[in-house]
Amino acid sequence: MKSIQRFGYPIFFVIMALLPHLLDPRWQAVAITFLIFSVVALSQDIVLGKSGMFNMGQALFFGIGAYTTAILNTQFGWPLLATIPLAILIPALFGVLLAGPIVHLRGDYLLVTTIGFNIVFVQVVQNNLGGITGGPNGIFGLDSMSLFGLQLSSQVDVYYFAFAVLLITLWIMHNLEGSKPGRALHYLREDQLAAESIGINTRIYKIFAFALSAGIAGLAGTVFATQYSAVSPEAFNFMQSVLFFSIVIVGGSSVPGVLIGVFVMFVLPEIFREFATWRFFIFGFAMIAAMILRPRGIIPASFGKIPKFLIKENRHGA
Amino acid sequence: MAHNELILTDVTKRFGGLTAVDALSFKVDPGQIYGIIGPNGAGKTTVFNCITGIYKSEEGSVRWRGQEIRGLTPYQIVDLGIVRTFQTISLFGQMSVAENIMSGRHIKSKQRLWHGIFHTPGSKRDELENWQRVEEQLDFFDLGDFAATPTDSLSYGLQRRVEIARAMAVEPTLLILDEPAAGLNDKETLGLLETIFKIRDKGVTVLLIEHDMDMVMEVTDYLTVINFGKKIAEGSPAEIQKNPAVIEAYLGSEEDDEDE
Ligand SMILES: Nc1ncnc2c1ncn2[C@@H]1O[C@H](COP(=O)(O)OP(=O)(O)O)[C@@H](O)[C@H]1O
Ligand SMILES: [Mg+2]
Repeated sequence: MKSIQRFGYPIFFVIMALLPHLLDPRWQAVAITFLIFSVVALSQDIVLGKSGMFNMGQALFFGIGAYTTAILNTQFGWPLLATIPLAILIPALFGVLLAGPIVHLRGDYLLVTTIGFNIVFVQVVQNNLGGITGGPNGIFGLDSMSLFGLQLSSQVDVYYFAFAVLLITLWIMHNLEGSKPGRALHYLREDQLAAESIGINTRIYKIFAFALSAGIAGLAGTVFATQYSAVSPEAFNFMQSVLFFSIVIVGGSSVPGVLIGVFVMFVLPEIFREFATWRFFIFGFAMIAAMILRPRGIIPASFGKIPKFLIKENRHGA
Repeated sequence: MAHNELILTDVTKRFGGLTAVDALSFKVDPGQIYGIIGPNGAGKTTVFNCITGIYKSEEGSVRWRGQEIRGLTPYQIVDLGIVRTFQTISLFGQMSVAENIMSGRHIKSKQRLWHGIFHTPGSKRDELENWQRVEEQLDFFDLGDFAATPTDSLSYGLQRRVEIARAMAVEPTLLILDEPAAGLNDKETLGLLETIFKIRDKGVTVLLIEHDMDMVMEVTDYLTVINFGKKIAEGSPAEIQKNPAVIEAYLGSEEDDEDE
């Protein structure tokens, strides 16, 4: 694990920084989606991996963020980047409102409830709620990004936007790990009764996990809307939530695990696109194999990240 | 004047038709090592669950430092300075010893929710200070060598010690231990006794359930004996040892077993 942090991350960042210049436009698009999905999957990891809550509706928050950006841009003429605060806050608010009544539910009940939320969301936007969600076709014709009067309309620009969002997400994940709220999530996942009995109000932290997760997914939604200059309901349907759920389960609850998960579950199928539907067989078998061989994910959560001064060097004996 | 006692008055807890705790009253004074003993199934753990908010007793009152705590949630009761361990050890098994003990710092840590998103100089200082408190517990419980070891992989005796260390990290006023010697060998039990005395010497009141009579007689200042959820005797260990009702309960229950 140490060697991944020391060498793996710098190499990953350098490759990702250079990547768009090495790819043709089709693969640039795949790379952007890889970054966006990585952000959503990392947000899903906060709820599913770290807190152990079976949320099968993450595409909902991703979608609310994307629709917030699309509506503010097309209906109210807000510049894309100016929509970011609301594209984070509105999904986060929904995270609180939806999680509040359900976080006490046991895993399987929670899972079914979140599927329900996701389906309701897709129905609502498909039925053109309040005449602003555009119905089954969604919303298109968004502006391109601009920053200080600079037009950032190329795919490479969008790539770097997505990359910046991933870096911010990784920074937040890192901060979460080394904080009281982050640890509280691990504790309540491991043993809820023990967590309550040591003084943790688990309900507050579960809702916090949903809100934070939803806010990050919403931000990813802004990038998604920017990439396609459009949003449509099927991009946020229940099958997308299944994808994000599976990524965390297959990859494991760790940053490298989730990134590998996105690669295996999204990029590999793109690479094998010429095999048509066969790729889904490979994909399905890969999932099954991963779960049998590594039930806690390819790179599971690692613990014991404690300050150095606690690790005693002066062991007796050899 | 401050009332630092824990006072149970007529606490009754039923499970369906079974009255697990039946109009039980007792009082724990500050600085005591107080024991609850009784045969298996007597209702000892259920009493602890009623004190620590895991169950709410149907009747009676649980007063702590003059305040009614019956009906509060477990984390609210921890906030008032009462922390417990469990009969079946419940640690955060995949996490290291230090991380387990750090959970005891949760209520003392001043970090707010948003410090999970970005750190501030204040939150970093708070983080460091709490890890230093963890180091003190590691030293106090002689667990320093295992700081980074997942608790799942420790021996039973060490796991018990980690659970007590985690509870002590909260800096409780009242520490409640549910059969802390269960599953320990003689050497580990001796170590536990020493630890309990050291904890009391820090000014912490200790309330414990114990099955092992020898241990109870050695460690406690005062005892309540229960059987079928009812108090059958209370007094100092010496008094309890001579009490015919207690002898009857312990020996009698064995005879019953043979009859059946
Ligand atoms: N959650 C529960 N549901 C139903 N019955 C219970 C529950 N907890 C304990 N009991 C019953 O209450 C009685 C007392 O149990 P307990 O307090 O665990 O005894 P002790 O700790 O003295 O061995 C037992 O008969 C037990 O079966
Ligand atoms: Mg018991």
